[in-house]
Amino acid sequence: MNSISQDFAPPFKLIAPFFIIGGFFYVLATLAIFLFHAQDLVYTSPAVISFTHLFLLGFVMMTIFGAMAQLVPVVLEVGHFGVELFYAIWPLLLIGTLLMIVGFLYLPALLPYGGTVVLISMMIFVGEIFLTIKKVKKLNLVMSSVLISNTFLFFGIIFGLLMALSYAGTISLDISQMLRAHVYSVIGGYIGITIMGLSIVLVPMFTLSHSFSLTPLRISITLMSLGVISVILSALFNINFLEYLGYFLSFLSLPFYFYIIYIIYKTRPRKENDIYAISMMFAYSAMLVALFLAIAYFLLHKEVFLLASAWVLFFGFFGFMITGHIYKIIPFLVWFERFSPLVGKQKIPMLADMVPYKSSQAQFVFSSIGVILVTIAILTKSETLLHGGASFLFFGGLAFVRSMLYMINFK
Amino acid sequence: MSMYTKDELFQAISTVIDPEVGFNLVEMGLIYDASSDDEGNVKVTMTLSTKACPLHQMIIQWVKEAVEKLPNIKDVDIEVVWEPAWNISMADDNVKKALGA
Repeated sequence: MNSISQDFAPPFKLIAPFFIIGGFFYVLATLAIFLFHAQDLVYTSPAVISFTHLFLLGFVMMTIFGAMAQLVPVVLEVGHFGVELFYAIWPLLLIGTLLMIVGFLYLPALLPYGGTVVLISMMIFVGEIFLTIKKVKKLNLVMSSVLISNTFLFFGIIFGLLMALSYAGTISLDISQMLRAHVYSVIGGYIGITIMGLSIVLVPMFTLSHSFSLTPLRISITLMSLGVISVILSALFNINFLEYLGYFLSFLSLPFYFYIIYIIYKTRPRKENDIYAISMMFAYSAMLVALFLAIAYFLLHKEVFLLASAWVLFFGFFGFMITGHIYKIIPFLVWFERFSPLVGKQKIPMLADMVPYKSSQAQFVFSSIGVILVTIAILTKSETLLHGGASFLFFGGLAFVRSMLYMINFK
Repeated sequence: MSMYTKDELFQAISTVIDPEVGFNLVEMGLIYDASSDDEGNVKVTMTLSTKACPLHQMIIQWVKEAVEKLPNIKDVDIEVVWEPAWNISMADDNVKKALGA
């Protein structure tokens, strides 16, 4: 066994904190929804901004960073440049996120400090990924998507820091323009393109799909990248035309991505509907709903549609896409570390045996009902539905953390 | 003259199970060929269900160890090939049925 390289599976103790902290931020984000007021919900309110950062920084980015520690070598087919750097990333991201949340809610003076700590954490991450990519001799499409998404993350962090400095009064900027560049770089450029690239490796891997063309993905990533660049340029140089061109290009990229996912789904040999499969189905359905709500916003110019679209994209698409993959990634890492040395020596569990059925199903049911209720609450401005949905999400979050801890402690 | 037949080698390798799908590598159709000479040198030609398989190196090691359990094995050479690419039609009927393919 000594001859086996550990390059493709970093030690679990390195990755576990990302997932555990991510899970707790997920629960905190569900609690933050109780701070919303359905009647006067606007995207610039401190409650919405703090929720967004709790969810995106604390849960989405924290979990993606942990997952990337394992997935980058799988996707890039080379070992990490310095996987130990991940030991520094999660504490910094944790501290920075907490400072920012407190800053948004109570103490704006903390924002530049939180922003700077998050910046350092992300710069370490981006630097490590760039140096790992440097080891790759020839980039394929998925590897290129990692490079592109991390480049957008680099710029997204810079825009975010400039905004934090502006919030605190250190510098003077047009925050709304910078917000657009920041949001689009991070959400469309980093999270969006990362999910596009990695899902084309992971979804076929778990469904055993083969022999599909990557051309739609190439078109989709190209359109999304051009869309993000257009929106960033429109924000930096105040050119309205580029803003709408950017929105149009990024919307246009989605049908191509859906098409390739549909082909993978249609041709999948593995048809069992486990927690991973149903989470993916919910996630992609949510993304379609988010797309239609965004179109409704552009046609009707009502902010509730924009808020509902962002909500469904965050908790419906990102949320289920990430939790679904957690049910695959954690069992693999735990199995690799705890059970793989016992292969051939004694009876050991399969990966599916390590997923708790009841709590994973409870998470799916509670969270999906919660997402739907909150969406309706945003659209109808119903306080009762909003709090009802948040309650479902809270219990879904608890079930998710319980499932995660069960898998981590599986013996 | 070979020390072991292809069937005997496949039988030995069938003890290796893919932990993700729960089937052994032979019934998954991942083992393309196996042969041995009269001195106990074995050559296995196999593939994996995906190039990005994070268990790539471990699975090769498990196949090697499974063959080495046979008596008088001197050396095991494993070649991982990507042509022809694996697809579900290469799997046994029980695998296809269990997966719903």
